[in-house]
Amino acid sequence: MKNSISRQHIYLIFASLFLLLFVLIFAFGVLIPEGKEYRIKRIDLKKMSKELYEYQNFHNETLDTLKTLQGKDRRIITAFDTTFSPYRFEKQNKGHFSQLSVSALELAGIEGDFAVYEVNTTSQISSPASFYNFLDSVNKSDWIIAINFPINFKRDGELIMSSFTMKVYANNKDKNSSASVSEAK
Amino acid sequence: MIHSYIRPRKKTLFTQEIQLLLSFFSITLIMLFFTYTFLLYKNYVFIEEKNTKVLAKTNLEKSFVKMKAQIHYIEQQEYLSEKIYTKNRVLKDSISNLFDLVPSRITLSEAKLLENGLILYGVTPNKDIYNFMLQAPLRSIFHRTYSSFYPAQNGWLHFVSTNYIDEMEISDEK
Repeated sequence: MKNSISRQHIYLIFASLFLLLFVLIFAFGVLIPEGKEYRIKRIDLKKMSKELYEYQNFHNETLDTLKTLQGKDRRIITAFDTTFSPYRFEKQNKGHFSQLSVSALELAGIEGDFAVYEVNTTSQISSPASFYNFLDSVNKSDWIIAINFPINFKRDGELIMSSFTMKVYANNKDKNSSASVSEAK
Repeated sequence: MIHSYIRPRKKTLFTQEIQLLLSFFSITLIMLFFTYTFLLYKNYVFIEEKNTKVLAKTNLEKSFVKMKAQIHYIEQQEYLSEKIYTKNRVLKDSISNLFDLVPSRITLSEAKLLENGLILYGVTPNKDIYNFMLQAPLRSIFHRTYSSFYPAQNGWLHFVSTNYIDEMEISDEK
C-alpha cells in the first residue's frame, strides 16, 4: 500500500505543530503573566488616582482654611511679626498723653512659640478717660501688647502721672515659626 | 522524445500551501508580539504614572503638614491675641470701675493696681465717709482690706487703703 501523505505535508504538519506549541508556551509563559500584571497595575493606578484625587481635594480644603485664616487674621499675623519700635509707639500714642516715654525693649522670656518683651512706660494724663482711650487703641496697634501690672497712678497737680509695664508679644524667630507669616504677606 | 505539450512548472520551495502557512504564521506571531509589546509598554506607562502620582502625593503630604502647622500657629496667635485684648478690655473696665468707686467727697492722691490687689492713697473728710462710701464697696470686692489713717493739715484725714484678693480663694472659686 502506497503512503498517501507526501513529505511536504509532513513538514507542514510539523511546522504547524511547532507554531501551536510556540503559541501555547508564549501565551501561558509570557502573555498571560504579563496580562495579569497589566490588570493588577491598572487597578493599582486607578486606586492611586482616586486616592490622589481625594487627597488633592482634602489638601485644597485645608489650603482654603489656611487662606481664610490668613485673610481673617492678617492684622494679628502682621502684628506678631512686627518688631516693636518705642519711637513709633510714642508717635502713635502721644495723642492720649500729655507726656509719654517708653523704655527700650527687653526680652522677658519665651511663652510657648512666642517671645515676650517688656517695656516700661511712664506718662502723664489729664484724665482717666485718656487712659481708657489708650487701652482701646493698644488693642488696635501694630503690635500685640498686654498692659501689665503693677499700674501706678499718682496725682501731680492737675495731671495724673502713670507708670506701667507693657508686655509685647512677638514671633519667636529662633523657633522658625514665622513661616506662616511670610506666606500670609 | 516529448512526453508533454506544456512546459514543466518551475519547482519552488514556496508553494502556495507554504505561502499560506507562512502568512498565517507571520500574522499569528505579529499579533502575539504586538500584544506582548503593548502589555510591556502599558505596564511601563502604569509604573511611570504611579511613580508620578506617588511623588505628587508625597509633595501634597509635605505641603499638608506644613499647612497644618501654619494653621495651628495662626490659631495660637489668634487665641493669644484675643486673650491679651480681653485682658486689656477687662483692665480698662477695672480701672474705670475703680475711679467710679471713689466718691466725690474723697480725693485720691495715688492708686497702685497690683496683680492681686489695690493700694489707694488719698484724703477723706472723716473716717465715717471713708468707711461707708469707700471701704464698704472695697470689702465686697477684696478678701482682705486694711486701712490706716493719719491727720492732714486741713483737718481731714490721709488714708492708705490696702486691699488684696487671695489667690487660693480665686482658684477655689474657679
